[in-house]
Amino acid sequence: MKYIILLFLTCLSLCLSQALLAQTASSDPPAEAALVPSEPPAPPSNVRVSDLANDDGHGIRVTWDLSPDDGAGRSSVISYDIYRTLNPNDPDSLWKKVGTVVLGVRTYADRGEREPGSGSYLPKHTNLYYRVYAVGAGVRSAVATAGPAQATDDWFNTMKVPELIFCLVFLVLTVRFINMAKKGIDLYVRPLAGIEAIDEAIGRATEMGKPILYVLGIGTAGDIATIASFTVLGRVARKVAEYQTSMIVPCCDPVVMTIAQETVKTGYADAGRPDAYKEDSVYYVTSQQFPFVAAVNGTILREKPATNIYLGYFAAESLLLAETGVLAGSIQIAGTDQVSQLPFFVVACDYTLLGEELYAASAYLGREPLLLGTLKAQDYLKAIVLVCMVALLALRMITGADVISKPFDAPWW
Amino acid sequence: MKQQIPLVLVFVFGVLLAIQYFVPSEPSQRFYEVALDGLTVIGIFAMVLGIWSQIHVGYNKIKRRAEDWQYSVVTLVSMFGMAFCGLSFMGGLNGPIFRQLYNNIFIPIQAAIFSLLAFYIASASYRAFRARSAVSTVLLVAALLLMLRVIPTGPLADPINQIGSWMLMVPNMAAKRAILIGVGLGSVATALKIVLGIERSYLGKD
Amino acid sequence: MTSKIAMRILTAIVALIFLVSWITRSGSGMSDSAFTNVRDGFLITFAVFLTLSIFSFLYRDNPFYKFAESLYVGISAGYWMSYGFWSTIVGNFVPRASRSLSEFFHVPYQERADHILIYIPIIFGLILLTRLLPKIGWLSRWSLAFIIGATAGLNLTRYLRSDFISQVSNSFIPLFVDWKGAGDFVSHISLAADGQFIAILSNWVIFVGVMCGLVYFFFSKEHKGAFGVASRIGIWILMITFGASFGYTVMGRISLLVGRITFLFGDWLNIL
Repeated sequence: MKYIILLFLTCLSLCLSQALLAQTASSDPPAEAALVPSEPPAPPSNVRVSDLANDDGHGIRVTWDLSPDDGAGRSSVISYDIYRTLNPNDPDSLWKKVGTVVLGVRTYADRGEREPGSGSYLPKHTNLYYRVYAVGAGVRSAVATAGPAQATDDWFNTMKVPELIFCLVFLVLTVRFINMAKKGIDLYVRPLAGIEAIDEAIGRATEMGKPILYVLGIGTAGDIATIASFTVLGRVARKVAEYQTSMIVPCCDPVVMTIAQETVKTGYADAGRPDAYKEDSVYYVTSQQFPFVAAVNGTILREKPATNIYLGYFAAESLLLAETGVLAGSIQIAGTDQVSQLPFFVVACDYTLLGEELYAASAYLGREPLLLGTLKAQDYLKAIVLVCMVALLALRMITGADVISKPFDAPWW
Repeated sequence: MKQQIPLVLVFVFGVLLAIQYFVPSEPSQRFYEVALDGLTVIGIFAMVLGIWSQIHVGYNKIKRRAEDWQYSVVTLVSMFGMAFCGLSFMGGLNGPIFRQLYNNIFIPIQAAIFSLLAFYIASASYRAFRARSAVSTVLLVAALLLMLRVIPTGPLADPINQIGSWMLMVPNMAAKRAILIGVGLGSVATALKIVLGIERSYLGKD
Repeated sequence: MTSKIAMRILTAIVALIFLVSWITRSGSGMSDSAFTNVRDGFLITFAVFLTLSIFSFLYRDNPFYKFAESLYVGISAGYWMSYGFWSTIVGNFVPRASRSLSEFFHVPYQERADHILIYIPIIFGLILLTRLLPKIGWLSRWSLAFIIGATAGLNLTRYLRSDFISQVSNSFIPLFVDWKGAGDFVSHISLAADGQFIAILSNWVIFVGVMCGLVYFFFSKEHKGAFGVASRIGIWILMITFGASFGYTVMGRISLLVGRITFLFGDWLNIL
């Protein structure tokens, strides 16, 4: 302990000395004043309007050719103002300004609201007319008008083709491996220390007559890490029931608590000991991060669980929980998909499931063919990614052409 | 009925919301908003279950005169006291007593618990520095280099600073990418297992 | 027995210090109103008491920590109840659900064509509450099924771009930045941070790091031979990252404590 304090004091003094040495940054020079031209800039030309692609039917795209005074000529253009109306014969005052873009930009996406009562409502299937002005310092150009155009719904977002392909490939692979597993083909999975430790830890708890603490993190039921943790909780609960030991599951969210109660209950039922399940073993603490941690830390020191399992979504509380667990002498197994919290778990816990390992844990614990099938599909996709990376980079090195940078961002399909 | 309907609901909502991502049309967007509203609204109703759980656990402890039952009294009284101060006639969230309780009890304790991290990171560092294997030595060296960045080390300050920044920029980015790619695959796999009904322990059994 | 007596003596000492602090702080109050000074004196003393109670946890669990913890959890739950009611129900749900309720709570009613749809989640919410009735408690699983199904559906596709596609896409980086042949590279080699050598090294580290990191996460292949070597490099890269993140965070965490020390020695004892 004295080393900890010494180290801590050293860090503190370093921190303070660093703060004393800090220097104030110099302020930015003032911006140059803009020149005021005496004449309005030339207007933009060739204004076109069309339905905005990949939207909910409340958007129009306006495009134009730049004003001759934009970056050339008198260089007097500062921005472009875009106006919209339902009737092209409306007086200027009835044209509604919908947006402004800076000089050099040739397009504007007018995305409106869906509700008619809203101030920026843009009606669907209605003729709309647009005006574009080039704006100088205190003056604007003559008008350039275009229209009509109608906004319509789109039923497929073409920018999401990569995601669709990915999903289909994943689905096909999963179904294939599930079928293989169902036929009895052995699907190998390498041992994972963190998962193997769970069995051992439950046995230790039984020997010591101490409970197991299972923390699902501070996420809600809307976090996929929490859902992954439920799948592990069910299997842990089953083993806990088989070993006839007890478990404590404090929850940070009432929905999470409700699902956790069902999950633990199912685990006990699967083990053939439904009567051993105690409703109060899965309970709600509070929905706020630090009060939750304060309560769980208290529980750790009072109950001295043999094993603490932290799986799910965690933030700054990861270290608070894990270090308290160390003080209580518990075996600790943690897992999260939060990259920023993994270092603390790695340092303070006996076993840590890193990122994807959290999602694989239920398949490891269950060893059911259906679950192992999805694990195999994940590996195949990783292999595809690796092969593509090597092949495409080799192609780039051979051809020298930048044909693969950002391959998923542009709609090349 | 008890098992099949929930499974059908999981499948239907799962598939519809997965497809919705690709469909930008107005009905699809409205469906998405209703689903998000659903998660929020059910969360509100679930709050009743949460409060019920708290009262149930606290009350049982007090009734049984279990160890430390007095603290359950403190929890329940402060919970209902705070909720009472947040009622309409007390001024709601901006009521004077509500704000006083929040600022003078909640905030100081919150700050104190957060600052415990300073002590805990010191003891965690101590443990990390007792490198037990080659892998933990790598972690230790990287951590030390980053810590040394804030210490005045004279002529070594510049190289240490540059190496530290490079480590944060380059290997850090590589590892984060590898983890995120894995997380992306893992979360899709988990979601798929749920939607297809391969994982169903959360739906109870009877 | 001895520990009980020691605890009583300690409680008496704490109570005494509390009283002295309260009286001292009340006496040094800045307000003209005696009540305000006494109240403020109590509040700051109580805040200090709670702060020190939380810190006492570092020694071991004790009644002061238990009290602070229970109070904190209770206050938090009460705050969450009030916040949930005013912010989520009154602020978000009432304006879309009913005109009369909006008028009752003095919030502007939001006229929407699809406002009837808000009642679908309410039905699911009510179904969830059947959990409190043992005979029909199984109905609550419908609501849980909605939550789980919706979450799974949302996660199936929604984070693919940020977590997968963008990460893969950004890993396609040139491995030989500004390459003009080996001779040119050797003659211009330097360790400058913005030089070609460091740029090439960085891109190679990123490329190899991502590849080996992915290899480490392979579950269905034994980590042996070349695969095992790649996997080991992967775990080394991960550990460098964890170490760097850990070291980077240390100073930030210590500044949190500095804030509390300033509160104790500045705001309370006035010696900073």
